[in-house]
Amino acid sequence: MEELNSHSQRQDRIKLNVGGKLFETTISTLLSAGPDSLLAALSARERDNENPVFIDRDPEIFSVLLYLLRTSHLPSTARRFSKQELTEEALYYGVESQFKAAILPPPLSGIDASLIETIRPASDGFPTAFTAGAGDGSVWIAHGGQISGYDWNLLHAGTIRTHLDSITSIRRVWPEVAAVGSDTAAGLHLYDFSSGRRIGSAQWTDSSDPRIYKARVLSITDSSTSVFASFDCAHKENCILQIDKSTLKITSEIGRLPGNSTKTVVPKKLAYLPESGIIFSSAVSSGAFGYSGFIRLWDPRTGEMVWETNEPGSGRSSRFGDSFADVDVEVEESTMFKVCSKSGDVGMADLRNLKDDPWIYLDEKNPSLRNTGGEENNVIHCYRKQVFVSRETGLEVWSHVEHIEEDVESRDFEKRCYRRNYVDKVEHCREKGMIRRMEGGGDRLFVSREGVEGLEVWESSDLSGAVSFL
Amino acid sequence: MPPFSVQNQNYSSSTNGGFVKKKSETNIITINVGGQLFQTTKQTLTLAGSNTLLSTISTTNPNSNSSIIPFIDRDPEIFSILLSLLRTGNLPSKSKLFDLQDLIFEAQFYGLADFLVSSLSNPSQFEAFNLERSLILPLSGRDSPSAISTTNSGSVHVAHGSKITSFDWSLKKKSTILTHFTAVDSILALSPSLAAAGATDFSGLQILDLKRGFVRETLNWENQTKSSSTVQAIGSSSDYLFTSFESGRRNSNTIMVFDLQDNFRPVAEIAHGEIYGTDLDSAIPATKLKWIPSYNLLMAAGSHGGPSGVIGNIRLWDIRSGNVHWEINEKIDCFSDVTVSDNLSAIFKVGVNSGEVYFADMRMLGRQWICLGDSRKGYKGKKEGAGCKIESHGNQVFCSKGGDVELWSEVLIGSTRASEDDLDDRVFKKNSIGRLKDSSEFKITNLGFGGNRMIVTRKDQQSVEVWQSSSKGY
Repeated sequence: MEELNSHSQRQDRIKLNVGGKLFETTISTLLSAGPDSLLAALSARERDNENPVFIDRDPEIFSVLLYLLRTSHLPSTARRFSKQELTEEALYYGVESQFKAAILPPPLSGIDASLIETIRPASDGFPTAFTAGAGDGSVWIAHGGQISGYDWNLLHAGTIRTHLDSITSIRRVWPEVAAVGSDTAAGLHLYDFSSGRRIGSAQWTDSSDPRIYKARVLSITDSSTSVFASFDCAHKENCILQIDKSTLKITSEIGRLPGNSTKTVVPKKLAYLPESGIIFSSAVSSGAFGYSGFIRLWDPRTGEMVWETNEPGSGRSSRFGDSFADVDVEVEESTMFKVCSKSGDVGMADLRNLKDDPWIYLDEKNPSLRNTGGEENNVIHCYRKQVFVSRETGLEVWSHVEHIEEDVESRDFEKRCYRRNYVDKVEHCREKGMIRRMEGGGDRLFVSREGVEGLEVWESSDLSGAVSFL
Repeated sequence: MPPFSVQNQNYSSSTNGGFVKKKSETNIITINVGGQLFQTTKQTLTLAGSNTLLSTISTTNPNSNSSIIPFIDRDPEIFSILLSLLRTGNLPSKSKLFDLQDLIFEAQFYGLADFLVSSLSNPSQFEAFNLERSLILPLSGRDSPSAISTTNSGSVHVAHGSKITSFDWSLKKKSTILTHFTAVDSILALSPSLAAAGATDFSGLQILDLKRGFVRETLNWENQTKSSSTVQAIGSSSDYLFTSFESGRRNSNTIMVFDLQDNFRPVAEIAHGEIYGTDLDSAIPATKLKWIPSYNLLMAAGSHGGPSGVIGNIRLWDIRSGNVHWEINEKIDCFSDVTVSDNLSAIFKVGVNSGEVYFADMRMLGRQWICLGDSRKGYKGKKEGAGCKIESHGNQVFCSKGGDVELWSEVLIGSTRASEDDLDDRVFKKNSIGRLKDSSEFKITNLGFGGNRMIVTRKDQQSVEVWQSSSKGY
């Protein structure tokens, strides 16, 4: 080894004594833990000292975390320790960001996802609503009147009880605050998860109309400053209220409708489009004559409706009688996707270019995947440029085929190529309930089913999962 | 082996964190356990408590003879687990490779047994919303459990037939003793090895040594009728033992107060009642005794079935003066079971007719019961609440209905506009416990709480169910 090289290395090296075991590493390795970590703090001092710094912790877990810092992935010996243990130790040394990066699943890809876990709350285990809004892979499950939180590692963080008996809509509006509503009790309520206390509530009232009281909340969404919730009165009159996140004061009332027909009922789905500041609302009703529903886009700043469509009633004549069963928006691409109730086809529409009939129907040329139609109870959810569609108990995904070169053609909305694939296997569908709700969060897809305890977690994995016959 | 000789032990611990700043004096302690060297700090070892092996090592001055490393001839693997426990307060996952018995045995050697108990079976680890049915403890013989009692550390005493089986806090070991009773009706753990037991058909309260299986003392009530005195209920505070006695002729009853600190010396007799003639309702013996520490009151409740349905009374006694602080007579929808929660400052009952849970706020005792369900059911003649048990633990109230347990918890409503939402002053909500697979059709006969566990016994089941939260289980 060169003289100069070894000399500079010696200066850069640092010895640590962890619980009686000696470790030697470089300062740059320790500094990669980040400036606020314990390890970086240790490396910053006493470089001249030959005596190792003593840390009174378990040496074996430290060796795992040092390996993580050196290579930015976890060694196989990490399997000897529980997730909880590693998390606590990573927190102690201040390397939790590296640890998270190493342990979190790779980006969610619908074409290569598998069911890795079913989270089961200890009691009342039927999720009535859930929110993965924090985006780090954590999820809050509302089951009955309780809310159970699971952190990014899917470890149980706690359970609180609300005064509601059945929470049917939940949204995590602050890191520690959930906005909840119920279709059987009035009002939008905010609960602090760490204390379990209700910190505020909002009710829809109208001083000029005494009938507007005890309105229930059907859906909740939020922007960075406001919470939007659709309220529904006993006599079906409804509106969307904009509520300030910090003061909990109602700032505006959007889209007040009488609710006397299926075209004016309360929206059961709300979404906020941050790019344009538009509120998306939709509702679907089904009856003896099939499905009917509406999609409306509102501008909360003016309170005006920007665009609307009703089905049946508008659209191509060839699609008459094939109104949508569910619709969702892809926020990143400003695209709207719907699944048709009769044919089961998926249609998409460009939110930036809406017209009378904006729908483009996605083709699947693979004959084995052709829709047989007639399946009811579809749920559609857009996440990370992928469209997840449930057909009763089965789950499929429509994904965008990427072009290598970003040429003019691929940017053309109408020529975007989507392919359809099943996410689950045939075995999955048997003896399982109908899919009720889906939501993506972090690199996970959460799925709840009718009459099934627990919440399914789907993740992609880069491990082959090879099974040995030996 | 790392070159420890290089180290001059010239370190002393800084106050924060586990790492050490350089100073002239050392705080690092090297121990050789079974050939493997461990290093830790004085602070970590003193956590073990005074007069333990580890604290003795930590106090011997390492400067005086630094060349001698203390040697302990024990298994190094288990020591590393116990050292992790001292450092972090939690057992590492590799402890699962060992049987809990091994850990307990080694912990006793190092004087860490109490530390191990508090880390594994700490009442603060009790998570009411996260309880799962985790263990079944089988009982020998054919008798179903009649009464149970728990201790703070989570050990359980179960009376079944004439036997009492005690499970230690780890629930790994048990011992069974034989008693004089044909069936024990009430049992109360006074310490992990001492329990008070009594029966409604046997005279006297027996203080039993559960380790050695003999009667340490028999406590009696010298009543005027000179007949036997049977035990109806047992309760205790930190200083006193309360026993509700009824005379053998069943015409008089009382609550005796014994001093726990002074060899069970009788201190007082309160709530003495005599029945004259046929007025049976004039003195109903108390069948439930609960001490309320923050109010310094004893709750005594009793009921009996009569021609006009079940009637009873609940009284709060001031044991110093022997006066009744508050009482309520139960004529309509009398309690089937009643308990008091000190944390929630409320008395809870389950109505015998309705099967619904009621509460009375201790801070406003003048008020009537507030029903947490459908109060109209109480006027019907049904007995939906018969056999229901209600117990409080921490901030929750647990009520058994048939084979299921309900959990009642208070919801804290922060905003002052509670009335706007049609909410009462205090909001209690019902929760179910357990998953679908945990449900059982066998009726619950006893509920108990100790350590981080809930203990359940069921009718016709010769076993004890243990519920705890999964993450904290061993």
